[in-house]
Amino acid sequence: MRLGRHELTLEPRQALPPGYTVLIAAGAIVVALALSSFLFVSADASVLGAYRSIFAYAFLNPLGLTATLQRAIYLLFCTFAFLVPLRAGLWNIGLPGQVFAGALAAFAVPFALRGGDTQASFASGGLIILMVVAAAAAGAAVGGFAGVLRARFQVNEILVTMMLNSIMFWLVAYMIKEGGPFMSPTGEGESFALPPGLRAPLWRGIPFTALLVVAAAVLLDLLFAKTALGYRIRALGENPAAARYGGIIPVMLSLIVFVLGGAFAGVAGYHAFTAIPGVYKIAGNYGFYGDLAFYGLISALIARGSALGAVPIAVLFAGLSLGARFAQGALHLPFGVDYALLGLLMMTFVGSHVLYTFRFALRRTTAEVLRPVAPELPEA
Amino acid sequence: MPDAARRVHNLQRVVSAPAAAARGILAARRITKRFPGVLALDRVDLDVAPGEIHAILGQNGAGKTTLMNILFGLVQPDDGALYLGGRQVSFRSPHDALAQGIGMVHQTRRLVSAHTVLENIVLGHPRVRGFLDLRGARSDVQALGTRYGFTVDLGARVWQLPEGERQGVEILKALYRGARILILDEPTSALTPPEVKTLLAGLGALVRDQGVTVLLVTHKLPIVMAASHRVTVLRGGRVAARLRTAEATEEILVKHMVGRDITFRTPERAAAGSPMIQVEHLTAHNDKGQLALRGVSFSLREKEILGIAGVTGNGQDELAQVLAGLRPAVSGRVRFDGRNVTRLSPLERWRMGIGYVPAERAEVASIAAFSLVENTALTYHFDPAFARRGLLDDSGLKGLTRRILTDYNIKAPHEYARAQHLSGGNLQKLILGRVLSRKPRLLIAHLPTQGLDVEATAFVRSALLDAKAAGAAVLLISEDLDEILSLSDWVAPIYEGRFGAVLPREEADAELIGAMMAGLGHREDGER
Repeated sequence: MRLGRHELTLEPRQALPPGYTVLIAAGAIVVALALSSFLFVSADASVLGAYRSIFAYAFLNPLGLTATLQRAIYLLFCTFAFLVPLRAGLWNIGLPGQVFAGALAAFAVPFALRGGDTQASFASGGLIILMVVAAAAAGAAVGGFAGVLRARFQVNEILVTMMLNSIMFWLVAYMIKEGGPFMSPTGEGESFALPPGLRAPLWRGIPFTALLVVAAAVLLDLLFAKTALGYRIRALGENPAAARYGGIIPVMLSLIVFVLGGAFAGVAGYHAFTAIPGVYKIAGNYGFYGDLAFYGLISALIARGSALGAVPIAVLFAGLSLGARFAQGALHLPFGVDYALLGLLMMTFVGSHVLYTFRFALRRTTAEVLRPVAPELPEA
Repeated sequence: MPDAARRVHNLQRVVSAPAAAARGILAARRITKRFPGVLALDRVDLDVAPGEIHAILGQNGAGKTTLMNILFGLVQPDDGALYLGGRQVSFRSPHDALAQGIGMVHQTRRLVSAHTVLENIVLGHPRVRGFLDLRGARSDVQALGTRYGFTVDLGARVWQLPEGERQGVEILKALYRGARILILDEPTSALTPPEVKTLLAGLGALVRDQGVTVLLVTHKLPIVMAASHRVTVLRGGRVAARLRTAEATEEILVKHMVGRDITFRTPERAAAGSPMIQVEHLTAHNDKGQLALRGVSFSLREKEILGIAGVTGNGQDELAQVLAGLRPAVSGRVRFDGRNVTRLSPLERWRMGIGYVPAERAEVASIAAFSLVENTALTYHFDPAFARRGLLDDSGLKGLTRRILTDYNIKAPHEYARAQHLSGGNLQKLILGRVLSRKPRLLIAHLPTQGLDVEATAFVRSALLDAKAAGAAVLLISEDLDEILSLSDWVAPIYEGRFGAVLPREEADAELIGAMMAGLGHREDGER
């Protein structure tokens, strides 16, 4: 593009300057927020007021901040569930199904142990650990199912996981609604409530799953950076033919990444339905959490496979979705402002990725910067 | 075809101006281009006369491709200017270059393989906006093809065509866009010898009968000698020489290209050791499920090189992949060091000391987005010496990579540069160095010098001889008969999945092997 005597060009970038990733991400956020001001203007709301309302609720209000962190933990588990197979070049679109499997397994523990007595009381840390393990195992089993089909029979994992989502959605419906085994005694189309002794321990309103998610982020980044297994997964994802050449066995790895990814989604299910204060049951609108899981997919893609890099992104998504919903009610903004805001953010994040591989360069046009060249061909 | 015709007309008018004719149709003056850390082109002058085949000769990294990219508007020079018909021009994109009648055929094909030839030719043409007039285009392209002597089945899907015809499609596409100056970047690198012949004849006719000007970028001396009128030799980003081809010899060109005399080592016949690999009646399918390897048998001792000579597509891929464990054998047996390894996985073969250098450097043997250290790890991630308790030994791998870079004289910014930034020759040296660093007892080298410049070729060949001297049995699969004859102890011409024979080097003369590569004198199941 020509700008007077200058020229704006996109040039391939050889290496990324340090700190640039953060700078680009921050730029994307600013652009998304600037664009969203059109939303507020069109709704006759004060732009600054809307921003203040969103951010104040999401990050400053103690209640809102707790909710933001709760949701961020959920999104992060979902992020890891997508991220691990992604590093092997596989797409785990089965996040909702694996989340539901985790939730069902978590509730199956008290259900099985008390033999149908819904009000029996428990007070055991061991059982809580059992619930987490059961949730992870169930998510891993559902993910592993797709992994086996992929590894042994080359069945497309995207189709399989999407169909599993549907199956798991209706399985949950069967379990909690109209006479299902997990139905609440009052029969409101939701599961029985978790006995108080089995609710996840909290510290200042934040459940222990926060520790799990941070540990998982650190371990995942170490896995991919330092271990032979992580190396093999990355090699398979970058170039399957080269991986096979190097003695890497794709069958085993496809299974491993889906089992691991499914386990993370299962723990996300545990977190969403047994660890968030005020929930402690599989609610009738459980499908909402299934849809929310896909923000994990987005943040894994934006973080470009980095687990720790996904942490701020998930927190931002969580905060903005909650803050915008709050502002929607408080300022009488039109329905769907929260989704519109997240959508804008996604678009600017994805758009900003071009800057990782290219850079804008403003150059003086050839005629200006060079020694003047003869308009007629000089002798060599 | 009013657009193209008008463009050609304009161009001819410009060219026919007397001053321009004297000074050449396309010229570059003091072209300089810097990339981070590299001076790719340093004050390069170029003069191309109308209606000539002008060869740009140089080793990998000499700046040939950068110069061509500048001529085609893909890259902007930092300094210097381009002249077309004596007048200064600047191309800000290939679009500008095309509008001025300059077309480019890249080294790798840029076609949509699921589309027909005609659709590919029409794709991206400025006249095609929204609606496709395929019938009109068909007759235009057909007329063009007849005029220029390129006959391609316009209805064929591109994936069905052999490489030579795909290239013909790209040439036709450039001509259809109105190109009067054709830039061909390494046009012969993927072609079989008969296809090369066809291509050169076609280019000759284009230039002679149609007045098209051709810029031929290559590092192959025989191509330059056979096809070009004049040659500009680049070395290290500078013009090393400008010559009339008729006044040059291959020796002179090599000297300019490399800056010194090159001598190729020849093998010494050492006392042969014990048998390392025995292959019996091996057969395998290709990717389409057809029997491509049809019963190959041979045995090879340590400190021996078996050269398998053949035109690509006669079962060499399948043979190499079966031996590397990447493709199942349908029948037959492979014994390595006395042990039946026919069904072992690639991993087990690496551990046993079978090293494989595939023909597909960028697609199979390396990972473009990985650093050089990570690429080294590709054949070490399973090695207890570099992976302890599940952790990769990064500093050990870095040291190993650094040693390979030094020993093999590989030009790379540092060990953590991405493999995609390496030139073809440097990448091949890295791959070979990585495989040889495992001290394999059997080395399978498939087209190890394909597309490499003279210096890298000499280096790779020398490394193969060193591996042999160190005790390895080496299987060299190549299309280059000279290479086979100069390195091998045994020679096996392969044709349609079978060996014509396995001959000791002394009995293998070029005519005999060449005839067997073409399927003549083909015996059932060559055995030794």
